Amino acid sequence: MNQTIVALAINGIVFGLIVALIALGLSIIFGLLDIINLSHGDFFMVGTVLTYTTLTTLGLFWPALLIAPLIGFALGVLVQYSIIQRIKNNAALSIVATFGLSMIIQEVVRMTFGAAPKRIMSPIQGTFGLFGIEYEWYRIFAAVASIIAIVAFFIFLKKTKLGTWMRAVRHDRDTATAMGIPTQHVYLFTFGIGFAMAALGGVIAAPITTVDFRTGVDILPFCFMAVIIGGLGNLPGTVAAAVLLAFLEGVISGFATPTIARIFSLVLMSGVLLVRPQGLFKGLTK
Amino acid sequence: MRTGLGYAGLFSALLLAPWLITWLGDPFWLSILTEIVIWSCFAASINFLFGYVGLLSFGQALYFGFGMYGVALGITELHLSFWPAFFLGPLSATVIAFLTGILAVRLTWHYFAIITVVFSLIMYFLALTFKSLTGGDDGINFSLPDIALGGSYKVSLTNATTQYFFMLIVVALCFWLIRIVMASAFGRSLIAIRDNDVRASLIGIHVYRLRLAAFVIAGFLAGVSGTLFALFGRYASASYMFYHVSGEGVVWAIVGGIGTILGPAIGTGIFILIREIVSSHWQHYALIVGAFAICIVIFAPEGIVGLWKKYVLKRGA
Repeated sequence: MNQTIVALAINGIVFGLIVALIALGLSIIFGLLDIINLSHGDFFMVGTVLTYTTLTTLGLFWPALLIAPLIGFALGVLVQYSIIQRIKNNAALSIVATFGLSMIIQEVVRMTFGAAPKRIMSPIQGTFGLFGIEYEWYRIFAAVASIIAIVAFFIFLKKTKLGTWMRAVRHDRDTATAMGIPTQHVYLFTFGIGFAMAALGGVIAAPITTVDFRTGVDILPFCFMAVIIGGLGNLPGTVAAAVLLAFLEGVISGFATPTIARIFSLVLMSGVLLVRPQGLFKGLTK
Repeated sequence: MRTGLGYAGLFSALLLAPWLITWLGDPFWLSILTEIVIWSCFAASINFLFGYVGLLSFGQALYFGFGMYGVALGITELHLSFWPAFFLGPLSATVIAFLTGILAVRLTWHYFAIITVVFSLIMYFLALTFKSLTGGDDGINFSLPDIALGGSYKVSLTNATTQYFFMLIVVALCFWLIRIVMASAFGRSLIAIRDNDVRASLIGIHVYRLRLAAFVIAGFLAGVSGTLFALFGRYASASYMFYHVSGEGVVWAIVGGIGTILGPAIGTGIFILIREIVSSHWQHYALIVGAFAICIVIFAPEGIVGLWKKYVLKRGA
């Protein structure tokens, strides 16, 4: 029993890190553009599907780590350019537009990939002993890969010119524009990066979840929770909240059904929203 | 005057619809029209909160679900006759809207949208957990009791035309209720809160209490549509509590025209018609529905009612 809980808790942390990566993408789109992106989960799903396709056509898993984020980036830029820009970042309209987009993405995947869920073999086989349980190496790889991607994203945001522009536009759009920052390009880039991160999360998660055109619908509320519990606009908070939520759900699912564990984290979430709507970590970071 | 004539025209068209549809051929469309009427009330519930109070709820499916289960469990578990079961649906939705509203309306905008999703997800997962009572995603079926209309006179909803008129009358009463509410001082206070809640509170409007009242009314409306839908399908299912159902309602309301009385009904009608017409020819109808939603927000951000006002009414004036 104890060993099961250890395994579930570590599984929770691994999954939380993947969710953190996706939620960061959601958060920069949310924070920078005030867009409620209901299609974000579907880009995660597209990532898993692209992994499956890469594996079946090339016979290799690893190229997907590059292919899926690139396609995600291109799609993100396309969506921002062709849809979001035209509705002038109006939040209510963005809900309708991204809901429509979500329907289209799911349907296109169902048309081309099929409706039946599929599983893929993990590219790293083998297990190792961990606190008396046999733990899969791939999950460790998934955690490390997510951490690298998250750290890389924060370095990008802090150290590069484009990252500084993104923070400037988020802070004060008008002043940033007046200072000569090409705001429209920053928007395009933000959407691209956000979708690329969701797709990358999909690639990393693909061997440990199922590949199914509906997975985006399940993961979306979880990502929004991480963004809100972490505090809107608080990116390190988002990461912490994602890991914490997934860890708690993992531990609780050692005692109860996953559904009860999900209910528990939702109740916790509403508690945080009501008591600290500014997020759990306000004042602790920065 | 003109709008009054418009309403009268629309209502008489809806009254004549069963005969028009029979005359045109396929009685299948009468059940589609019934479905549109029922879901219009759901979209109206979302519009009531978002269009008139400025609160975007992503959890109205919760109250829809309580309406469904109220009537279904009333018939299967409590063995109620038609009218008590019929009132149990909206009543349970209203009660739960009040209880969740106490907490939810303390928040606004993004936070409000998220907490309504969270509440509806909690109830959805609870419904899955108590599968023996709710049937989970598979749902529970029931058979319809007859409607007693005083004395020994009874009608049954198994007749498609009776069913249609029953749903139409109930939903028309709900739309009439919305009109009355919005014409009252209470309704104008809601608009004031929507436009500027700080200013509203400064002129003495109790923002929290009014928001809560509006939330309960919206929960009632969603509960009515859930009740009607359960009667229509003779079943209740937890899957209707999922946030995707709420999301669809939000899309219908915004596409139709937020903040207008008939907009939600028009949006609902168009989306259900597209679904029914396209799905019989092409299984991937979701592509058309999604593309349509995107085109509307790009080319008609005020919704279809806004488009109508801009082009048809202006030209007439």
